[in-house]
Amino acid sequence: MESSGGAPPAEERRLLAASLTARYSDWVLEELDELPGSFLLTDPAMSGHPIVYASRGLASLTGYRPRDVLGRNARLFQGAATDRAAVAGVRDAVRCQRAHQVAILNYRRDGAPHWVLLHVAPVFHAHDGRVLHFLAVQVPIAAAPRRRAAPCRRPPVFAACREEARVEEELPCASHAGEAFVDIDKRGLETTRWLEAGEPRVASGCDKEKALSTANSIFSALNRYSKLTGLVVCGKRCDSAGIPALSSSLNLSLGRIKQSFVLTDRHLPDMPVVYASDAFLSLTGYSREEILGCNCRFLNGPGTSLEVLEEINRNICCEQACTVHLLNYRKDGLAFPDLLHVSPIRNASGKVAFHVWVHLDESIKHDFNGLSPEVWQLGAVGAVRVAVRSLSASGSLLRPSQ
Amino acid sequence: MVSATKLEGEYSFHGKNPPLDQSEGVKLHLYRFGIEHHGNDDLKRITCIDQASPTLLDTIILSQWENFAREGHLGYDVTTCKLKVIEGERNFVVQMNDKWDSFLLKEYGKFRQPLGCLKPDCTESHEELLLCIAQGEKDVPEVVPSATPVNDGVLLIANAYPVEYGHIFLVPSATNQLTSFWDRRMFGLIMRSASEVNNAAFRVFFDDGTSIVPDRMFFEACYFANPLPVESASTVAIYDGKARSGIRVYEIVDYPLKALVFTSNNVNALVNVVSEVSSTLHENKTAYSLLISNHGRNVCLFPQAKSLVTGCCLPAWECCGYFVYGTKADFDKASETEISDKMASFSFQDDAFEDLKNLCCAIADDHAM
Repeated sequence: MESSGGAPPAEERRLLAASLTARYSDWVLEELDELPGSFLLTDPAMSGHPIVYASRGLASLTGYRPRDVLGRNARLFQGAATDRAAVAGVRDAVRCQRAHQVAILNYRRDGAPHWVLLHVAPVFHAHDGRVLHFLAVQVPIAAAPRRRAAPCRRPPVFAACREEARVEEELPCASHAGEAFVDIDKRGLETTRWLEAGEPRVASGCDKEKALSTANSIFSALNRYSKLTGLVVCGKRCDSAGIPALSSSLNLSLGRIKQSFVLTDRHLPDMPVVYASDAFLSLTGYSREEILGCNCRFLNGPGTSLEVLEEINRNICCEQACTVHLLNYRKDGLAFPDLLHVSPIRNASGKVAFHVWVHLDESIKHDFNGLSPEVWQLGAVGAVRVAVRSLSASGSLLRPSQ
Repeated sequence: MVSATKLEGEYSFHGKNPPLDQSEGVKLHLYRFGIEHHGNDDLKRITCIDQASPTLLDTIILSQWENFAREGHLGYDVTTCKLKVIEGERNFVVQMNDKWDSFLLKEYGKFRQPLGCLKPDCTESHEELLLCIAQGEKDVPEVVPSATPVNDGVLLIANAYPVEYGHIFLVPSATNQLTSFWDRRMFGLIMRSASEVNNAAFRVFFDDGTSIVPDRMFFEACYFANPLPVESASTVAIYDGKARSGIRVYEIVDYPLKALVFTSNNVNALVNVVSEVSSTLHENKTAYSLLISNHGRNVCLFPQAKSLVTGCCLPAWECCGYFVYGTKADFDKASETEISDKMASFSFQDDAFEDLKNLCCAIADDHAM
């Protein structure tokens, strides 16, 4: 654990504040302060990956005021009995830039351990896919009901109390279940505390939902205030974890197709990219890992016509194909005039399973063998249609999920 | 459906060359094969197959077909039609398509009129005409604009009532074609096309005996993502001319419809043998169907005993184990037994099939150099 150094010096404070204000409007801090819940923002680009924002709710849960934690690494919450495997899981998620939820034993400022559901999520720059911040939401986990405990072990008195509190608090599903903990005098309760610390708690579905909804409200606040500075952030993790893998035979058939295209899965939330062709990667400069799981909007930027995006959405909704001209951006920030064809793709059941997005950089001279660029693009659509219509004996295109 | 949206500000699109199909007077894309170099070309072709990206011809056919679909010329979108595999020994594939049957005859009827009469001043539009394929004079294949189909080429015509994605008719473009049933040069172009499309999903069919189109030779082709059931059936070699012509003949065993497979890496040898077998069968008034698969290296022959009741035959894709059902009830209750029985009712008798095997082996042997 790090020593508590008190408030950081003025210069450091300015740098920490700039991590947010350089990317969002100044109002973002006020907006975040208004949000309920205990959460942090950390900046992986700064040395030591420090906390650059701490919510007001953090103090009631952990006893740390914002100025106690700003500038420090978030590991300050961990202590002797914190599960190393849980910490490794968080580190791994940070390294891989993906969202992660884990029940973890943290320590309050006064040294008392408490179980929280930690929800970590990267905040991406929507244009270049860079990670701007990490968001860490902490939701207290109440003690689990002891129904399954061995009959010989008598439940501690306090656990029973909490159980009551929990039931009461859980119903409205928004709340400060954590605050009750803080009020209890920890001295003299060491035994109970260690007992509870020693018994890993499992986050309930309600806890998980709460963490997610807090994270979502933060993302929407960041997005609202980022627009003023022309920046769009997204919370969609940019790796393939959680995206169902396409069958290897489908991958193989798609891999033969030369044109620049991506496939998005129409049945997953926010229609994430589930396949990207090599030509698309070389056109845009992204790696496959960076874009699998993302919505196609990561290509958009200043000058991308909202009307055209709206038109694409309309066509997607009514299962129609469309060809549009759009200004899109590469990973390096360079814009390119994009001739984009979007078409619904049906599987062997005849249902729309994917959308194919065929991109063509119109600023480069191509040889289409006498066909118009629009028609040439359709060759990829046809090839994708044939590939997706393939029918394995099981009738499923997707690998069984683990 | 197509929209061009102007962008504001400094960005503008460069002027595009007018695409071919918008130029005045130009009606057609003409695909010319590269010159065939005899000698090592068989080997060369084998090595480049499988690993390759889609070929130019493959991309053009798919582009043109998809464009035809996008412009709304199709009777229906065949990709909305449900497919299922009937689990069993043969894994027959069935498709639910309530729009196909009724249009079938009408569509075939088109081919009673000569098709080679495309002229620049033709007022009739021919948007279903996707491509013309012909021999070329350059080393590599090329696509050139053409106002009229060349005389000795193959026309690729979209079928607006497809059995599967990319359904096209392949018909001779010659206006002065004699009404001879089998044109070996035409078949050569078809086989060359199948080879040059170089896509395992691309399969070409031929039917002789449907009696709807008695005197005009035409082929059909579709893209099937999965192997057709007949392609997974066991085979027994009955003739091995590998050392001489490169032709092998196999008998398909354990399949309800008796069939033979001719294989060779030498397209020309395959063209010669299959042409002769086909002509002989036709002269004998024997109905049969062909499947050209495996990049033009396999030709599967299904001789058919005409149904005495209806006088008709199975279309080639049904011979291959792919069936289209017009009603949901039939689709749901389709079974391996029912399909096998149907196919078996068209199958050759044992002695007739033995004669055919002998004939095919003899022809293959005749063509061995």
